[in-house]
Amino acid sequence: MKKIFTIMLIALTAIFTGCGGGENQPTANSNATKIGMLQQLNASEQEFNGFMKDIAETFALNTNPHEVKFFNNLNTMLMALESGQIDEISTYKCVADYLMTKNPNVEILEGHTLEFIDAFCFAVKADNVELKNSLDDAISEMKNDGTLNNLTKEYVTSSVNPAKVEFEKFDGAETLKVAITGDLPPLDFVSEDGSAAGFNTAVLAEIGKRLHRNIEVVQVDSASRSAALTSGQVDVVFWAIVPVSEIIPANADKPDGVELTTPYYRGRIVHIGLKK
Amino acid sequence: MELIYKIFIANGAWQTILNGLWATVQISALSLLFGTLLGALICFFRVGKIKPLKIFAQGYISIIRGAPVLMLLMLLFYGVFARSGLSPITVAVVTFSLHTAAHVAELLRAALMAIDTGQVEAARTLGFSKFQAFKLVTLPQILKIAKPVYQSTVINLIQWTSVVGYVTITDLTRVINNIASRTMQPMITIIGGMIIYLALSYIVQGIFKLTEAKK
Repeated sequence: MKKIFTIMLIALTAIFTGCGGGENQPTANSNATKIGMLQQLNASEQEFNGFMKDIAETFALNTNPHEVKFFNNLNTMLMALESGQIDEISTYKCVADYLMTKNPNVEILEGHTLEFIDAFCFAVKADNVELKNSLDDAISEMKNDGTLNNLTKEYVTSSVNPAKVEFEKFDGAETLKVAITGDLPPLDFVSEDGSAAGFNTAVLAEIGKRLHRNIEVVQVDSASRSAALTSGQVDVVFWAIVPVSEIIPANADKPDGVELTTPYYRGRIVHIGLKK
Repeated sequence: MELIYKIFIANGAWQTILNGLWATVQISALSLLFGTLLGALICFFRVGKIKPLKIFAQGYISIIRGAPVLMLLMLLFYGVFARSGLSPITVAVVTFSLHTAAHVAELLRAALMAIDTGQVEAARTLGFSKFQAFKLVTLPQILKIAKPVYQSTVINLIQWTSVVGYVTITDLTRVINNIASRTMQPMITIIGGMIIYLALSYIVQGIFKLTEAKK
């Protein structure tokens, strides 16, 4: 028995040291700037590291290499920043503005020559074509008549504590279940009284009004958004897609069986760090 | 001080926290009740003489205790019960009851094994029936031995329920996370949340102390 254990132990040691010397080395770069990002729906940390590297090489950027760390939510990311576990947070301009008004310790890091813009969409199940089309129609209608612009002004640009969102009720209409995470103020957060608030919710209320459907907001942790959508517990989840280019393929962060609507908002990505 | 007021009290925030706390307490209490009953049954199967039931109980305990409860919860909510229309709270109670049952079954079995079999034999020789021997000799001792372990199971259960945010339930942990996101002050908010959980486990300890005092 002892012999078997010894052999197993030796084998295990060999396997672990083998792996440690091989695959893990490229990521274990201690000089890299650690940058926090919100967990994507599908793409992995490794893929993002690859993207960052490709971007730096393509544009011949003379910057420190970045190492991507994924976080489940904004809180943990902010705590990591405050405790020095990461050096920067990658997020949207509006989120950064909100963050800075609430927490005076952070600032936007200047000196990023590249501009990346994420598009905010709704994600629905691929077989739910009807829903996707009606959402698309509602979004383009809202774009054309200026409603989206007004909502953006009201909920994103001007106010830190925007008005409460009211959902209209339609008797006998079908209910649309929408997942929110409450993790991305001022776009998506939960107000003091426990109800969903922010720009996303306001857009949602407007869409419900136009489609004549009742909206039921379901609060779910970011990490289980995909599971909630694919299992049918919710019909719609909010989704920001990464800027697609020659470097980042269009399906980089799109799980199978999911369709995206046309974007209803675009957010510039900024990096924030602690005030020096 | 003003910051703490703004985070935890202002504009009905305290009510939201209470609602979250209620969800946590509700899930914990119901799971504890059903889990203990089921656990006693599983333990009965496990130490009993019927082979198939014994194997079932062994398998049940090793599967449930061997896997993280979050996995079980996600599996049940997004898989098994996805189309059943059961409320998330019900699914959470089912999950945590199953989970608690496995632990309770094991702790009861441990307590049973700690009791000298000679005592039951002696009682039987003195003319007690099987049930009487169990009720008067074995049971009081089991309760005494199992109590401290049971107490820590209860406290563990309360903390395990903090993962129900994954299945669309707004429990205490989720409320705390939401507040931290909204106020962008995660450190203070999370410390506040910890204090509430701590208070909860002290209350549990207090209840166990009270049962001791009565005897």
